[in-house]
Amino acid sequence: MTETALNPRPMPVKKDLMVEDANTRRRNAAEKRFRAYGLAAILIGLFFLIVLAVSILRNGLPAFTQTVVSVEFTLKAADRDAAESQLFKTKAYQDLFIAELAGKLDERGVEVVFDAATIERLLGKIGGDLRAFYQANPDRVGEPVSFELPASSRVDGYFNGRVTRETLQDSRFLMAADLDLVDAMQEAGIVQSSLNWTFLTGADSGVDNPGGAGIGASVIGSFFMMLVVLVLSLPIGVAASIYLEEFAPKNRFTDLIEVNISNLAAVPSIVFGILGLAVFIQFMHLPQSAPLVGGLVLTLMTLPTIIISTRASLKSVPPSIRDAALGVGASKMQSVFHHVLPLAMPGILTGTIIGLAQALGETAPLLLIGMVGFVARGYPDGFVAGFTEANSAMPAQIYTWAARADASFYDKAWGGIIVLLVFLLSMNILAILLRRKFERRW
Amino acid sequence: MYDSPISERQLTQQEIKFSARGVQVYYGDNHAIKGVDVDLEDKTVTAFIGPSGCGKSTFLRCLNRMNDTIDICRVEGTITLDDQDIYDKRVDPVQLRARVGMVFQKPNPFPKSIYDNVAYGPRIHGMARNRDELDSIVEKSLRRAAIWDEVKDRLNAPGTGLSGGQQQRLCIARAVATEPEVLLMDEPCSALDPIATAQVEELIDELRQDYSVVIVTHSMQQAARVSQKTAFFHLGHLVEFGETSQIFTNPEDKRTESYITGRIG
Repeated sequence: MTETALNPRPMPVKKDLMVEDANTRRRNAAEKRFRAYGLAAILIGLFFLIVLAVSILRNGLPAFTQTVVSVEFTLKAADRDAAESQLFKTKAYQDLFIAELAGKLDERGVEVVFDAATIERLLGKIGGDLRAFYQANPDRVGEPVSFELPASSRVDGYFNGRVTRETLQDSRFLMAADLDLVDAMQEAGIVQSSLNWTFLTGADSGVDNPGGAGIGASVIGSFFMMLVVLVLSLPIGVAASIYLEEFAPKNRFTDLIEVNISNLAAVPSIVFGILGLAVFIQFMHLPQSAPLVGGLVLTLMTLPTIIISTRASLKSVPPSIRDAALGVGASKMQSVFHHVLPLAMPGILTGTIIGLAQALGETAPLLLIGMVGFVARGYPDGFVAGFTEANSAMPAQIYTWAARADASFYDKAWGGIIVLLVFLLSMNILAILLRRKFERRW
Repeated sequence: MYDSPISERQLTQQEIKFSARGVQVYYGDNHAIKGVDVDLEDKTVTAFIGPSGCGKSTFLRCLNRMNDTIDICRVEGTITLDDQDIYDKRVDPVQLRARVGMVFQKPNPFPKSIYDNVAYGPRIHGMARNRDELDSIVEKSLRRAAIWDEVKDRLNAPGTGLSGGQQQRLCIARAVATEPEVLLMDEPCSALDPIATAQVEELIDELRQDYSVVIVTHSMQQAARVSQKTAFFHLGHLVEFGETSQIFTNPEDKRTESYITGRIG
């Protein structure tokens, strides 16, 4: 008998470690492909993020600045007395200013023809402003005072290229000829760009006054709404999830509740708006357009999100911690409140902030309960009034501006988006800080 | 490790602490414990041995009603602690668990400081009137669990930062801090290395002076080393119960013999 007959299995071929075999090559190639897909996905996401950020900043930043004409103006006592003795006093002040401005332009060698109507279109009714200033500060008469007069928002549009001589249609707001004066003033160096406080702190303005529109009041409205949402949905949501997760018996009834909560999380927000309109305003007669009602509607919307995330984080606490607490004679409630809840806290916070962020950006339900548009009343007076007085909210305000015919409101809408995003970002940063503080390992 | 098993040391007949009669346990449709009668003595270490899934842990958890936390679990029969039925309607399981402490298979310290881990039980039971009393309870418990010297300088360090053996001894300290009468241990050494195991075993032997200890173990050597009484469970039945030396040297039942000689299990 030969060796092979005794040993029928062929000797295994020794594999060379230095050379990849076909199988390994295939696996490595697959891995490389997958990595490339992943990287591509991230790059695509990053690209859109950058495009979004750039376009928001480019369109929105102009809303934060405004064009001002800065003129040094000296009112002589004699001129004042003359003006005060006339029938149209503010007109007299305006004429004095126009004379001063014309003098300034001449002095710098800029030649331009303009009339009082041009000044009114560009700078508004400045006569009244001047008179009010000198009546409040009579001691400034006779000395040079530097005035910064905000120009019409259409002038802002002219400088950032939205309004051009070709596209401009003459109207009572701006004539193409007025732009000659704008150019002249710029040549004379008395046109500046400054921070637009009105936009940050003001309330909404009329449809033909984009320059006076501000987001401040609706920031306050959103803030009070978020306060309502936080104060209601966090305790209710956490209490409901603790009961469902730790105490409730598992039966058909609790299953039904569970399914319904999951379904509620997926209900379109406009449905909650209709519900809020029917229940809170028409049935309970709560004030319309009030942050209180907006907060209540958004609470309904946020609750399922908070309940779902809280239950998930309660579930993720290892059961050994519960056993340990029960094992030393803690009651069920002690084990939950002393041990399980603190460990679940980071997850609960994350869920709450996500819920709040969703609520903050929600527009549709607010449209239905009337939290939109023109709120000339401005700021609420006092804390309680903040909840009950009519106000707007940031996303609804942005929506209103975007829907207005005047293109100048377009800038305002983008600027509003920036403010909304800053608000959101600061909320997220707060959440991260809180999570860091509460986070514990086990 | 030991020349002579601890179990060969002198035995005295002790009072009955736990008495179980006709105990049946069901998990839903699964009949896990089938009619167990057993008397557990005070100041004695009783070991429960048997193959996996034989019901020894389940029975242990019946003794302090930890099974109550499992919805589908149902217990029949009577178990008495000092002649009082622990499954009586009037018994609050929380009060029972303060008297019957438990140490679990996996070390499970709370994610808090070492001090707070031990002080938690005394705090919720109102055992200390002031900080000094609490300090002395914590020190006494940590000394009893033979871990005081290792942690006395870092009582504020997190309990989860200790090594596995230290964590388990911390859990034992936590369990003895509430001054229970009975200590239930569910495979306390299964996650420990031999050195930590030896420390815990020594500890169990010391705890016997004050407590009745019931220990579930997969290691027959361990049962032989630490216990005076041994109960052998198989498929939900209590097959044999008696002196440890008796069980290991001269078992009456065939199944016991097969198990301890390694033929089943």
